[in-house]
This record gives sequence, C-alpha cells and structure tokens, in this order.
Amino acid sequence: MSKIKVVHYINQFFANIGGEEKADYPAEIRVGEVVGPGLAFNMNFKDEAEIIATIVCGDSYFNENLEKAKADILAMVKEQAPDVFIAGPAFNAGRYGVACGTIAAAVQEELGIPAVTGMYVENPGADMFKDQVYMISTKNSAAGMRAAVGKMAPLALKLARGEKIGASCEEGYMPNGVRVNFFEKERGSKRAVNMLLKKLADKPFETEYPMPSFDKVAPNPAVKDLAHAKIALVTSGGIVPKGNPDHIESSSASHYGEYDIAGVMDLTAETYETAHGGYDPVYANEDADRVLPVDVLRDMEKEGKIGELHHLFYTTTGNGTAVASAKAFADEFSQKLKADGVDAVILTST
Amino acid sequence: MDSYMILTNNPLAARKLEGRRTVCYISVPYEELLREAEKKICQGHRLLSHPLSGSVKPKETPYKSIMLSGKKEEVDPQSVRMIEAAIQTCEKFTDRQKSYGQEVYEDFQLIDWTLLESAMESADVW
Amino acid sequence: MRLEMGHIYIKDIQFADESKIQDGVLYVAKEELEKTALEDEKIKGVSFDIARPGESVRITPVKDVIEPRVKVEGRGGVFPGVISKVDTVGSGKTYALKGMAVVTAGRIVGFQEGIIDMTGPGAQYTPFSQTLNLVMVCEPVDDIKQHDYEKAVRFAGFRVAAYIGELARSLTPDETKVYETCTIKEGLEKYPELPRVAYVQMLQSQGLLHDTYVYGVDAKKIVPTILSPTEIMDGAIVSGNCVSACDKNPTYVHQNNPVVHDLFEEHGKTLNFVCQIITNENVYLADKQRSSDWTAKLCKMLDLDGVIVSQEGFGNPDTDLIMNCKKIEAEGVKTVIITDEYAGRDGKSQSLADADAAADAVVTGGNANEVIILPKLDKVIGTLDYVTKIAGASEETLREDGSLEVELQVITGATNETGFNKLSAR
Repeated sequence: MSKIKVVHYINQFFANIGGEEKADYPAEIRVGEVVGPGLAFNMNFKDEAEIIATIVCGDSYFNENLEKAKADILAMVKEQAPDVFIAGPAFNAGRYGVACGTIAAAVQEELGIPAVTGMYVENPGADMFKDQVYMISTKNSAAGMRAAVGKMAPLALKLARGEKIGASCEEGYMPNGVRVNFFEKERGSKRAVNMLLKKLADKPFETEYPMPSFDKVAPNPAVKDLAHAKIALVTSGGIVPKGNPDHIESSSASHYGEYDIAGVMDLTAETYETAHGGYDPVYANEDADRVLPVDVLRDMEKEGKIGELHHLFYTTTGNGTAVASAKAFADEFSQKLKADGVDAVILTST
Repeated sequence: MDSYMILTNNPLAARKLEGRRTVCYISVPYEELLREAEKKICQGHRLLSHPLSGSVKPKETPYKSIMLSGKKEEVDPQSVRMIEAAIQTCEKFTDRQKSYGQEVYEDFQLIDWTLLESAMESADVW
Repeated sequence: MRLEMGHIYIKDIQFADESKIQDGVLYVAKEELEKTALEDEKIKGVSFDIARPGESVRITPVKDVIEPRVKVEGRGGVFPGVISKVDTVGSGKTYALKGMAVVTAGRIVGFQEGIIDMTGPGAQYTPFSQTLNLVMVCEPVDDIKQHDYEKAVRFAGFRVAAYIGELARSLTPDETKVYETCTIKEGLEKYPELPRVAYVQMLQSQGLLHDTYVYGVDAKKIVPTILSPTEIMDGAIVSGNCVSACDKNPTYVHQNNPVVHDLFEEHGKTLNFVCQIITNENVYLADKQRSSDWTAKLCKMLDLDGVIVSQEGFGNPDTDLIMNCKKIEAEGVKTVIITDEYAGRDGKSQSLADADAAADAVVTGGNANEVIILPKLDKVIGTLDYVTKIAGASEETLREDGSLEVELQVITGATNETGFNKLSAR
C-alpha cells in the first residue's frame, strides 16, 4: 500500500526564515522538503504517510495579499494532489491562525482535499474557521507542539483514509457545531452525579451540551433627560477618516479607531469613508452619515433634543472580527466613554 | 379563564369538537399548521398547549392540534418564542409520511386527539 | 426508609412443565404464563418466546420491559396500586431477578417503534440486548379500542412479571444491597457537612401511549411530590408510554433508575441523598407552569443544595426541563440536567426545542437522529411492518440485503434520559 501524501503549510517563523521582519515573505513551495514542525508530523506518521511538499508563506504577505496568496497556494496544492492537507499548528499567533484557517478551508472547499489545522482556542482564526475545517485545540505557545502534532497527525490520517471521525472530545478538535455520538466510559447518571458534585464544590465542570449562546445584554434603564445627555456614536460599520489612517482591516479587525469629530457637522465623501470589506461600500463612501449619523445628531444638538454629541467616536469593522476581539475593544473604549461622562451610546452596525 | 379555540389539521379532532368548541380546521401539513398558529399568535392569541405535544415526531405524524386563547390580547412573547422554536424543531425532521395504511393515519389521528383531550381536561377545570 | 434488595442472578430461561428457579435457571411453564396473561378477557391470545444475548433475534415493536421482583418483607407488594394494593412500599425486603426481563411486544397502534436487537451493531445501543428476555406478544379481542388494548397489555406484562418474581420468594439471594434514606431531621444531624441533594424525575404524561403511573395514579393528574427513592425499587412508578422508543422510560428503567442508584452510591460519602421529587410533562401550558413552580418550591422547602433533573421524551418536555432548571437554579439550588438530542441526521441542528443560560450543566444521551444500519437478523419476534416504513428517509429503508437504515430513535432505550447508557455526544 502506498503512503498517504501530505502537503504541509507553515509560516516564515516556523520555516526558520525569520520573525516579524520577514512576515512579508511570499508564498513558496518546497517539493520533497520537510520543514520545521513537518519533522514532528513525519515522525508521528511512522510509515503510513509522508509530507511530499511544504508550503511556506509569511503571515503579513498572506493576509495583505489574501486573494493572490490564496490562489497561488491553492494552485501549488492542486499540483501536488495530496491525500490530505495540514496547516500549522498556529498556537496563539493571530495572523498565522487566520492564514491556516483560510487556506485549510479553501483547500477543502475548492479542491475537495480534506484538511486539518490546529491553534489555540483564543486565536482569532479559531472562531472564524472552526466550523469549516477540523481544528485541533492546542496550547497557546509552541511548547505545545508535541501534543498538537500528536492529535493533528492521527486526525489527518483518518481524514485521508475517509474514516469516520469521532466526537470532538475524542479527536481533540474544537466543537464545530456538528453533534457526534460516541460511548463514554461511564453511564450518564454517573456523569451527572460527578458533574453535580463538581458544581456543588464550585469546581470547574464541562457541560456535555453547551446551550446555544445568546449573549443577552440586559438593556439599561431609559435615558431620562435626553435634552441634557451626552451622546456618543460607536460603529462596527468601519467608518474612518478618509485614507484609513490607522489601517483598520477590511475584515477580521485587530484594532479599533478613535476619531475626533469636534466641529464636524457632516461627514462627506471627501472627508470620511468606510474600511469595511463586508458590504458594498458605495453608499457609505458617498455619505458616511448613512452609517454614522453625525449630521442628524448635530441637528438634534441644535434643536436641543440631546445635550451634546461626544467629540470622539469609536469604530471598527465587524466583518469576520472574532467575538473575543470585539469584546476586548469594547471593554477598553467603554471605560473611556465612561471617563468622559458619556450618558448614552448609539451603536450602529451594517 | 377565557374561552379557547382549537387550531387543528386533524379531522378526528374537528369531528369530535364540532358544535362543542371553537375549532379552526385546516387541511394543511404539520409545519404549515404551526405557521398558522404563529400567525394567530402574532395577532394576539396566546398558546395554551405545547405546539410539540406528543412524542411522535413532527412529519412522522401528519396531525397536530393546538389550543390557543380565544381572545386577542397584546402579543405574548413567550408564545412567540415557543412557536418559533417548534417550527425550527419541525424543520430538522425528515418527512416520513408517505405510504402508511389507512389504519395508521387513523391511529395518528387518535393519538393527536388524546393529547389534545389531555390539554382540554386541564383547561376545562376552570 | 430502609430497603434490602436481594439480587438473584438468572443465567438462562427455559420453557418447562413446571415453573421454578433452580441453580440460576428460570424454568417457565407456558400454560401458566398464558393463564396469567389471559386473566384479562380483553386478551384473546398470547405467545411467548425467549431471546438471549448474542442470538440473531430482533424484537419489535417493543412496548414495555419489566424486571420481575417480589416483595418478601415489609409493607405492600410489587407494583402498588396496579398489581398490589396501594400500600406505601420502599421498606423491608425485595428480591429482583437480575439479568432478565419480561418484554411486552405487539402492535397497539400502527406506528409503534421500539427495536431490541440481541446481536449486531444495534445491540450496543439498547441496554436490553444484555438481558435474557422473555417476550410476550398479546393478541387482543376483536374491535378493541387502542386505550383498552394498551391497558390490557400493560397489566398483562405486570402480572407475568409478578408471577415470575413470585417464583423467587423462598430463594436465597446471590447478593444483597441495602438502600436507606434518612428523614429530614436525621439527615441534618447525621450529615451536617454534606450537600443536600435530590433527584427530580420528570414523568411522561401527555395522553394515550404517553402516560406514566405512580401508585396507579395517572401522572398528569399529580402535582409534584416527594418519594423515598426506595419506593421505585418496588415498582411505585410504571410505564404506560410506548412512543419515542429511544428516550421513553420502560418500567425496567423506573425500577432500576440509574440516577437513584448512583446517588445512593454517594449517599453519606459526598452527599446526602434527601429524596426523589417527581413531576410531570403535561400538554397544557398552565400545568407546566404550576408543576415547575412547585418543583422549585419543594427544592427550596427541602433546603436542597443540588438536584439532578431527568427528562423523558422529546419536544414538549424540553420546555418542562428548561422551566424546571431555570426555576430551581433561581432558588439557589445547583442543577444538572439529563437530556438527549435531536440534532438532525447531520448533527447540525439545534438539539433541543428550548434553551436557557441557566442550563449550564447538561448530560446528554446522544443524538437520536443519528443513522445506523441494522443488518438482517435470522429471527423477528413481533413484526417489522411499521419500522420498514418510517425508519429511513427513503422508501428503501428495508434495503435489498434485508438490512434496515434507521435513526437511533427507533431503538428501545438508545438515548435514555435518565443516564441509563454510556452513549453521549459532543
């Protein structure tokens, strides 16, 4: 029986090319070479599989030239026609994680070749792609390489052979929204008793079925005196001063922007635009008030309906941005809003 | 307690209740009946019985009878939530009702009727 | 209450001229069994068969599964309010025939499911592939109403189980286990440091073929109440539920309720097992509100620290489960719930028809929509008529080689929601 053929994707760092300064390294394929973590995979495969080629790509290059990088890499993979594609593991490296998820999902979707990747659960790539491609949950640093490879390699082999994939907790992949049956070691009632004992002792326990999460936010009491309230604008619609000075990403934003609109009465096509890559930007670029209604609030300010419009607005792109990132942004700027004595916020989305 | 009405696609239930209760009989598939109930709920009727009553799975049985309040009030959010969840649940089941014999349909009608009857027994206490 | 359970292990069942238990073998005289079953004039005929673990046998449609027991000391008798008088049971001494079951099968309504495979891939999903099964198929008199037929078969099963249990009365058990609960005050004094825990059992109670009986009372007519968990071991709760084979509780599961047994395992060690609370799953929404309010109230009044809530059935009971969980948690009582899932054949759909953030500790019996292929077996006890029509998505459920493509939900006990099995899902 011939060996299972594997193509492996890694970034510039794991290929020993360099760190951040080499992150613009373009995609290249090294046929017949096993690089960096590939050695660990090959060991783990024993004689059942081998890496026939390694694709190396800088993280900045991939994310900044997304379409081209994706197309180039897909062509490389297609040429090699492997039985399975492995990307990473990326651990907690954000852009590497996004690259691994993007390319693994694309290989699977567009080439029909099964793929597996691995990363830390808080890597933004995890939220974005865990439902599209099997993603092994790893530690947050390369110290977890052995454990990561120990789970990714067998899963890759199973995928290559077209075998039935077990439940997430058996195989080590992140829950992907697909419920899979399996047999536990203990019966359900015993598991329930054990879970209850942990819960009673305030020890951590793991539910077998996480309830669909509705992150319900209880509404604040209504603003009583709008005529004297300080109102701020916040948006996930990507409105930024023309030229996007802080380079807020068109998708999967890694940061938010804070901009001063003191004295700005109206957002115009000359002064503001959207950085958002998830909707047709024409109408937002024509008149950014359509997303961030500065003009209307200035009117209301004049009419005395609201006390004042806060002179700073906060903005990011919601497009593909990890929930964890969005939460972190809001945690930070909410404090600033509070410190500035803002009474209420109008949050606009697209 | 206000009077109630029965929304059903079960001919047996309709027959049994004719002249005794307010019955809205419509000959539509299970899922359609749930959507009819949803419409009534959005008009302000309240759900009084569970839309997924019974262990026979939606689309395995073609029949469903639902009890709703007779009076229209303000839309009841809990009823809305429940009927929406029921419709969603219904969607995931595979349609199996194809080639049953007549007696099987009659049994399904009977079971749906007994489920409704149990709700009516509770409701009629008032 | 203190109950001594004597276990008598049954190694084989054989038909014989005389009914007796000898050296772990149950010998049954068919005529005696028939006489017992036919005591009810609504039953015209009955046939008996034996299915052993590993045999190439499929039993379907299964109605109930019952473990034969006999009360040898203490108040009352088995199945109080049904077979015996309504005396309060749960104390004294009871013998159970372990390793076997009486299985009632037969077509009460045209769409009945319930498969027990004694071998093959299906066998690992039903706990009753592991028991020696004495199967009885009852034939009703002509023109009987489904209500009457269901009741007749239900009672016939209990009578036969009681008849067999009686054969063990003078035997010496192979093993004895003692189950004892304290009164409220005793418990507080004896285990002041241990968390106070109860088991909240939701009973199926929606109508014909969806009923459960407590001391003979139809569970939809009860308000939530408390039991000593030993009462169920004498058959205080019996099943009249024949729909949703995978997650209904046959009488056997009530008698051997695994939550009760596993809580007793920890009783006096890590927790104080205070009592069992039973509640229902009615169709009428106001009943749901009353029952869940009352369940939460009882938890509060009993000063509980934690409860395990088990469900029975699909859809409607999801609402009761979530209501119970939410209200009990709101009383400051920590809650773990046991359920099963209908996540669709691909596992991608929402598993339950209701949800709430308070349900943060869930044990699952698996996805009942998952598809399994059951190979053709040599012998069928009962009839495959209905299963072949409904089980699969296509009319080719009964495949050319005689195998069946079915969802787990047709297998008796496959995704039991009292945690009877090891099957789970993630």
